[in-house]
Amino acid sequence: MKGYQSSHLYRISVIARHTFTQLVRMKVFYFLAVFAVIALASNFFDLPQHETPESLGINVLRSIKSWSIGTMTLFSVVLSVVATALLLPKDVEDRTLYTVLAKPVPRFDYLAGKLGGVLLLIFSSLVLMDILMTAVLHVRSGIVMNQQMELATAQGWPQDAINAMLNDTVAQGVTWSLQGAVIAIFIRSAIIASIALLVSTFSTSTLFTTIVSFLIYFIGNFQADALDAFLKTSETLQKVVTGLVSLILPNFQLFNVIDAVIEGQIMPLMVLVKLVLLGLFYAGFYTLASWFIFSDKEF
Amino acid sequence: MSETTPAVEITHLVKDFKTSFRRQLLRAVDDVSIRIMPGEVYGLIGPNGSGKSTTMKALLGLVSPTSGNCAIFGKDSAKVDSRQDVGFLPENPYFYKHLSGAETIRFYGKLCGLRGKFLEDRVSELLELVDLNSARDRRIGGYSKGMLQRIGLAQALVQEPRLVILDEPTAGVDPVGSRQIRDLIFKLRERGITVFLCSHLLEQVQEVCDQVGIIFRGKMVKEGRLEDLIAIEDQTEIVLQDADPELVKSITAQVDASATTQLVRVGKPRTTLERLFLRETQKDKR
Repeated sequence: MKGYQSSHLYRISVIARHTFTQLVRMKVFYFLAVFAVIALASNFFDLPQHETPESLGINVLRSIKSWSIGTMTLFSVVLSVVATALLLPKDVEDRTLYTVLAKPVPRFDYLAGKLGGVLLLIFSSLVLMDILMTAVLHVRSGIVMNQQMELATAQGWPQDAINAMLNDTVAQGVTWSLQGAVIAIFIRSAIIASIALLVSTFSTSTLFTTIVSFLIYFIGNFQADALDAFLKTSETLQKVVTGLVSLILPNFQLFNVIDAVIEGQIMPLMVLVKLVLLGLFYAGFYTLASWFIFSDKEF
Repeated sequence: MSETTPAVEITHLVKDFKTSFRRQLLRAVDDVSIRIMPGEVYGLIGPNGSGKSTTMKALLGLVSPTSGNCAIFGKDSAKVDSRQDVGFLPENPYFYKHLSGAETIRFYGKLCGLRGKFLEDRVSELLELVDLNSARDRRIGGYSKGMLQRIGLAQALVQEPRLVILDEPTAGVDPVGSRQIRDLIFKLRERGITVFLCSHLLEQVQEVCDQVGIIFRGKMVKEGRLEDLIAIEDQTEIVLQDADPELVKSITAQVDASATTQLVRVGKPRTTLERLFLRETQKDKR
């Protein structure tokens, strides 16, 4: 060896970019075509209703957001579990892991790179989906506001009322809160991917990792209830179980703020900051736990 | 690092595995010690399941020794630093099927900290060395077994390691591919690179190795210089080219006249089946 130097960050980025390429070449991006169809098709989900100027087209805008955000959530959750669960056992099975770990690659760098690659793919996909959703929503909200103005003017609405109505419609269109919701989706998938990474370090099959990760995600949605039960109960066993659940699992209910954004509500900046911190803490915690197990693993 | 520091030093290595049944211990490697000096080609031979691969994995830090120590150029092999100087080709490697040959070497090069023009030059040089330039942009998924072994060898050499570890390098490869890999091992020896290989193809080991260790049921049963191990001390071989039958008769008569010497065999040396195969299959290429 002639003294080549390589930092942890460089190695992690090499493995992350490689994992990203691997997933892209597994045709994962085909999902984006499905998303484009869904985003465009959601334009036509306009429920018949009594048309007043303020309600005209609002359902379509909500439909576009609801379908787009729902599809983003589905894609990010499924990909974060399945892709992460697949990568590690595949490397062991194909013995490619031997060749990687036989190079001067610390095991933490390998794990962090794999996780980074999955997150890079989810992030890129969400950015592309977000751009498409924003474009569709922007065009459609412009059309809706023109229609509302025409109808309101024809009905002789005063200008102040028209302005107030348009402000309400703007809140249903492209907003910073909507971008915040997309960031929240990414943070949630980062936590789920790090959970899948942890499970895959000790599981023996991809199927087991996938099922357990989804189960943990499901239980995480009741973390707040577990914490509540922990604070109220005096029974020892129940206290231990609820205490463990509330300590180890993140409270996924906090991400229900995404649904409120679809309804047109504003996401306060502090809520987003809290979600980012929560994501950093849990993704870091689970990755460190994965490393703790993986560092002693024999192949 | 001094050249007197062994390239590989395995000292009293013991490795036990827990079996799933009743958590009983299975001893895969039992008190094995190996010392390989820089520039040597060492062959570890033994039947399947004798502990060859486990010994190599312990040396690479892929399994932890139950007891004993492994060191590479004086560095504890449990430490990541020790792998700066090692290239490893596992048995039946698969690599990432989505990468091309050039991308594969580039990926492993980057893991070792190589980058830029130096890395690109190194990729081309290695593809040339393993004779895969024509397949450099083809996906690994479409490579034959022999090509996979050669690209595996190229990735093992990417950071110019001083030690190369080869686990069954010609397993499942046809005689032509096997010969190519053997030639590559010779080239490594010429460059002064230490080679530690394990195989159960004895003829191959005999051809390329300076030192040999025989491992059986986890124990090292014989070790030493190949020439010393296979020489029949009380016999002498004379091979003559274009010998006159009269000369042969006269030599035979002299031997017969000796009171202490016995003639064991007179005949024509035979080529190996492999050499015959290679000669016949390479005719068209010439």
